[in-house]
Amino acid sequence: MSKKKIRFTIVIILLFILAIIPLWASRYVENVCLLVCAYMALASMWNLLAGYSGMVSLGQQMFVGVGGYTLAVLSMYYGLPIFLSIMIGGFISVFLAILISFPIFRMKGVYFAIGTWVIAEALGICFSNWAYVKYGMGIFIQPSQKMSMSTIYYAAAIICVGSISVVYLLLRSNLGLALMAIRDDDVASEMMGVNIFRCKLTCFLISAFITGIAAGVLYLNTVFIQPFEAFGIGWTVNLLFIVIIGGIGTLEGPVIGALIFVILQQFLSEYVGYNLIILGAITILVIFFAPKGIIGTFQHKYGFELFPVRRE
Amino acid sequence: MMLGYLEAIITGILLGSLYGIVGIGLSMVFGIMRQVNLAHGELMILSSYFSLLFIQLMGLHPLVTLFLVLPIMFAFGYLIQAFLFNRVMQKAMEPFLIISFGLSIILQNALLLIFTPDARALKTALAIKSVDVLGLFRIPLIQLINFAAGLIVLFLLYQFMKRTYLGWAIHAASEDLSGAKLMGINPKRVYCYAMGIAAATAGISGVLVGMTFTFYPHSGTQYLIIAFGVVIIGGLGSLPGTFLGGMILGISQLVGGRIIGPGFQLLSGYLILIIVLTIRPQGILGRR
Repeated sequence: MSKKKIRFTIVIILLFILAIIPLWASRYVENVCLLVCAYMALASMWNLLAGYSGMVSLGQQMFVGVGGYTLAVLSMYYGLPIFLSIMIGGFISVFLAILISFPIFRMKGVYFAIGTWVIAEALGICFSNWAYVKYGMGIFIQPSQKMSMSTIYYAAAIICVGSISVVYLLLRSNLGLALMAIRDDDVASEMMGVNIFRCKLTCFLISAFITGIAAGVLYLNTVFIQPFEAFGIGWTVNLLFIVIIGGIGTLEGPVIGALIFVILQQFLSEYVGYNLIILGAITILVIFFAPKGIIGTFQHKYGFELFPVRRE
Repeated sequence: MMLGYLEAIITGILLGSLYGIVGIGLSMVFGIMRQVNLAHGELMILSSYFSLLFIQLMGLHPLVTLFLVLPIMFAFGYLIQAFLFNRVMQKAMEPFLIISFGLSIILQNALLLIFTPDARALKTALAIKSVDVLGLFRIPLIQLINFAAGLIVLFLLYQFMKRTYLGWAIHAASEDLSGAKLMGINPKRVYCYAMGIAAATAGISGVLVGMTFTFYPHSGTQYLIIAFGVVIIGGLGSLPGTFLGGMILGISQLVGGRIIGPGFQLLSGYLILIIVLTIRPQGILGRR
């Protein structure tokens, strides 16, 4: 079989496995798969920014918070349908991204990382001082219509597959070529007529939208949203861990990373207090011994990519 | 009314001096290695807990514990640079960022495990004393100590960089790496000393912050952002700029808090930070 056929078969098998999980899995397994799917989507979006566009953002939690709060407010205060609220959460995230894009794109490298983080922290303070969302106490999220686990799972699976396809198509398009050129030499690519601002803005907006809706789906699964948790740096810590472990700048990296992260989290949940210490230590070890992550090292060794984004 | 603002400005300047010490280690590391240490806040809070430990074990005064905390923090900084950061110095910015991030998560959770999430403070009689200013308002004595400490740290670091061999070596390694190597300077050792000094300044700020405010295992994040604020407003890598940045941040927090409300004190500091980042990303006194 040619490489193309092998790839196609693997993708079909993976999709099939994703689709039949609710038919046989227990509630616990289904919940774990839901988390894996949601984290895959979130991590792919962070990877799109940090791995492909050179924007190491430490502020993805602002879109998580906005997505979660939109869901909570619209479904609890106004009784809107759940999935409509989640979609609106995505659009509000995009609106926020447009709003901050003017100051944020003047910053580069470390300044960009710090700027996004500070904006997320500032939003957390605003929400914890805002009477409408009950200050720091937080809001209950109880879906107005009772939702089965399977429905939430399918929503997460669709967002997961959707986000990975979006990144794949994006990187195979002209925009992907432009991004690669910017990453290699931004001055030269600008001379050749690449509009850096527009390329980066496109990635930033896409990442804001998908992060917002993926967070909405994640919050369907919890009962409570609080400002310092929703806008906390912990979200980006997790995404960073996932992408570094899996392999930054690869499409499959966030997929493998999210799988490892969620399974590790389930195992470590018995050892409260130690789990984050272990995650931190693993991250440092990966940087030392496999700086390209699992997928990067694998590709380097065997030269096989499931989703090749470079054209042959 | 005017008196209120005057008080806010003066307390802001005093607080700003403390913020200057908070930021100076981060600024040094950036100036010398062109890297950002995201574990700086945790180094600070770690030293607050060290000080707490010595107070409880030996009954020392918090300011006296500095004589124990500073060497420990210097050694700690030296060791993390030697064993962790020096391995990724030649690479791009991300590996350093991520390793320091991993270190900060490890330290934060280790502190949480050992000392529980309870609020702690380094209690002294100084905290309740205050000084009368021309009969208009009173300033806590501890704030004056912070201010004096800030000036002393600035003076000592300046003299150190100007007069000692190590100071010149650090300067040389940050100005021209290959030139410094040719002159027989070992950059890795210089980086170790620099990180040790940065950790020691974090130690000073940790003890002072512990005497002035309450702290928790996760306070490091908040002070890391303050350090960023100070350093970015003043300009990364500039010593006097760091203190100017501290004053601007301190004043904007207290005056902003007086205008909008105490809950928004941190927010007004962040707003100033974002505005400076947008208009002048290299900071007010920073070089390109």
